[in-house]
Amino acid sequence: MNIIILLVVCAGLVALRFVPKINILGWLAGWWIAVFVFLRWGIDPPLPTSIQGMFVAILTLALLAYLSANSAHFRFVLDRFVAFTTQKKYTIPLLAVIAVLPCLVALRVYFDVTEGPAPPLSSRTIHPPPPTSIEVAGNTIDLVNDDNPYRALETEDPAAFEEHVENGRRVYYENCVYCHGDDMAGDGLFAHGFDPIPANFQDATTIAMLQEGYIFWRIAKGGPGLPSESTPWLSAMPAWEDFLSEEDMWDVTLFLYDFTGHRPRAREDHGGGGDH
Amino acid sequence: MGGVGTIRNNTDIAIRPARRERRAVMRFSRWGAMSCALGACLCIALLPLTVSAQPAPDLGTDEQREAGRLLYMDKCAQCHGETGKGDGVAAPFMRPMPRDFTAGIYKVRTTPSGQLPTDDDLVRVIRDGMPYTGMPAWPQLNDDEIRNLVYYIKTFNDDFSGPYGVPDVVEIPDPPSFSEASAERGRVVYEENQCFDCHGMAGRGDGPSAVTLQEQWGNHIRPADLTKRWTFIGGNTREDIYRTFTTGLDGSPMPSYSITPIEDSWALVDYVYSLSQDEPDYATSATAQYANDPVDPVQGRAAFGEERGAYFPVVGQVIESGRSFMPGVDGIEMKARYNADEIAILLSWHDMSAETMGSNAPDMEVPPTEQVVRDTVTSIWSDAVAIQFPQELAPGGLPYFLFGDARQPVDLWFADLASGEGRSYVGRGSGNLLAGETSPSVRATYEDGAWTAVFTMPRDERFAEDTFVPIAFSVWDGFNDERGNRRGVTGWYYMYLEPSERPSPVMPMLRAAGLTLLVLLSIVGLVRFRHRTSVPA
Repeated sequence: MNIIILLVVCAGLVALRFVPKINILGWLAGWWIAVFVFLRWGIDPPLPTSIQGMFVAILTLALLAYLSANSAHFRFVLDRFVAFTTQKKYTIPLLAVIAVLPCLVALRVYFDVTEGPAPPLSSRTIHPPPPTSIEVAGNTIDLVNDDNPYRALETEDPAAFEEHVENGRRVYYENCVYCHGDDMAGDGLFAHGFDPIPANFQDATTIAMLQEGYIFWRIAKGGPGLPSESTPWLSAMPAWEDFLSEEDMWDVTLFLYDFTGHRPRAREDHGGGGDH
Repeated sequence: MGGVGTIRNNTDIAIRPARRERRAVMRFSRWGAMSCALGACLCIALLPLTVSAQPAPDLGTDEQREAGRLLYMDKCAQCHGETGKGDGVAAPFMRPMPRDFTAGIYKVRTTPSGQLPTDDDLVRVIRDGMPYTGMPAWPQLNDDEIRNLVYYIKTFNDDFSGPYGVPDVVEIPDPPSFSEASAERGRVVYEENQCFDCHGMAGRGDGPSAVTLQEQWGNHIRPADLTKRWTFIGGNTREDIYRTFTTGLDGSPMPSYSITPIEDSWALVDYVYSLSQDEPDYATSATAQYANDPVDPVQGRAAFGEERGAYFPVVGQVIESGRSFMPGVDGIEMKARYNADEIAILLSWHDMSAETMGSNAPDMEVPPTEQVVRDTVTSIWSDAVAIQFPQELAPGGLPYFLFGDARQPVDLWFADLASGEGRSYVGRGSGNLLAGETSPSVRATYEDGAWTAVFTMPRDERFAEDTFVPIAFSVWDGFNDERGNRRGVTGWYYMYLEPSERPSPVMPMLRAAGLTLLVLLSIVGLVRFRHRTSVPA
């Protein structure tokens, strides 16, 4: 999101309000341009052109719908249009439009043909559905019901909990930092070499909305353990069960939450009753 | 006396008390008369430095240092160590090593060589980081937080509170605007000051001394690749480049230079600046162009046209056993040509030294417990490179990017640059590589710090015109103990085979324009007709 562009667009629309005797055509044009400018330059990283085109089409339809909803407006625009096409004083602008529009279309076709096609984009699911249980080093871990075995220490034995977090810190900075980054923002030293880019744990849409069992699954099984639906994943996430002990993987999960200040998503209480 | 440079530096500034007196002044001049010129040069060298009596150093308040300490323990201690000695848990996996704050020796400074950095110097490095090293930028920390960190970092070395706690500042004059003539003159300055000894004749960091360079703590350190401005740890503007060679990178073998006249300093800046663009402009696909005649690999680059190829980032293979935390190669350029029978792919990458002894292979074992070894001259592992394609172009997805998987195998075209021999493998994962049927023919050359390898293979049905073929690369730097899974890798990118005959855009353009004209005329015609019939004349 480019705040400056957004402000400029808003300011433009406000300024339009003070234009004397502005008619409905002016408003429609103003809105169209404002939304177009925002879509084209105001979003960072930029939207793919196909998506931009789709939004612009929707925008155009919406503005037309708005116009036709008011018969006075509709009549006004229709009259202006008829006047433009029929009245003698508009002959030269009309001819200009008839001449210029096909040229613009031809230009567009020229760019489309000469630009060459774009490489295929791979779509991906953000949070793939986890299996109900996984096997790690011979142990079965129930991802639905099991919690982080060391999470309870947080209240029961803070000193022991702190040790697990510290171990998680070591594990993170020996193993994860290259991709997920020093501040866990998914911008490590090697992050630019991978697509999809590594997860940003500071972001509210990653670990903050997941349970620890899910995190453990992603760490233990990595890219190779992703479900076969919705491929290609192309994830570079290693299967950490090959390198780390079960305890290390639970510890680093604790550390992810400890460092970012996020809390794991609360488990739904299957037994009903209060959620404490 | 153009072209005379003095090196004011030294890496042996550990002897603190006598630091200023002992600042070694060396002169790299081919004309003798050392003794008298030395004095003159020292004067010139020190002229731009404003030496003045300064107030007591700003060490912050107890609260500020304590806030800095907490932040340091949270964000910095993992690499720089809890006692600031640069020995955190992540330190063994980094090159260059994290800074040892207790030594009080800093690379990026606006102060003369041998002096401490200013607070602003430390602020700047924390805020902007050092690109392509383990030191990230910290834009998420606010000014106060960074300032507190600086106060805390200064507690690791007593000099900050001592008589030299307020360093002199080297003033950087306003730069004249860049000019080609100045850059050309800069090339001469570059040679006169023997920059090529480390940075190489073409600036690719491949000079004769490059393999032997050590930093203060005895670790090998690579000279900067001056053709990749985006990797400069001291920043990549022209002022940054000026400052870097004027103040030197203390603790590293990069000395400080005083190059006079000042025009020559800026000439050197302009020369270095002219060697690369600002950004790497990483590509996501490369285009293979159709050529009627087969590519002649002997011609090397010339056979592939002049323009820059697609440049892809190479990162360490940190995913599977044999992890590579500090790959020797950070990017690879690709160009391609094809005709009816053959496809030729040119790969080019910068490598500090060519390892053409020993051997290499993608399936060599790397013991998982092997110590991480930084650059060492060995003759065991040679440099090598590989291209990877999916064996079949399945719409369902791509093979695993690390040498494929059981479901979707990859074809690997491999070149061991010691023998220059091309081999092919079929990969179903890095633990399952079998020899392939047809070997690519490979011609590789190493010149001025850059490998260029041309692979030629018969063109099979995968390489159809107007197709995007997934492609990935692996690069091994033998100097860095890389073999097997210890290597630089890329993710999947694409090679587009441009059609042999490009359809002319004229017909589609005419068709579209004609159609639009027709629609416009019909609308106007219809409206006019209805208007005329509805309005009585």
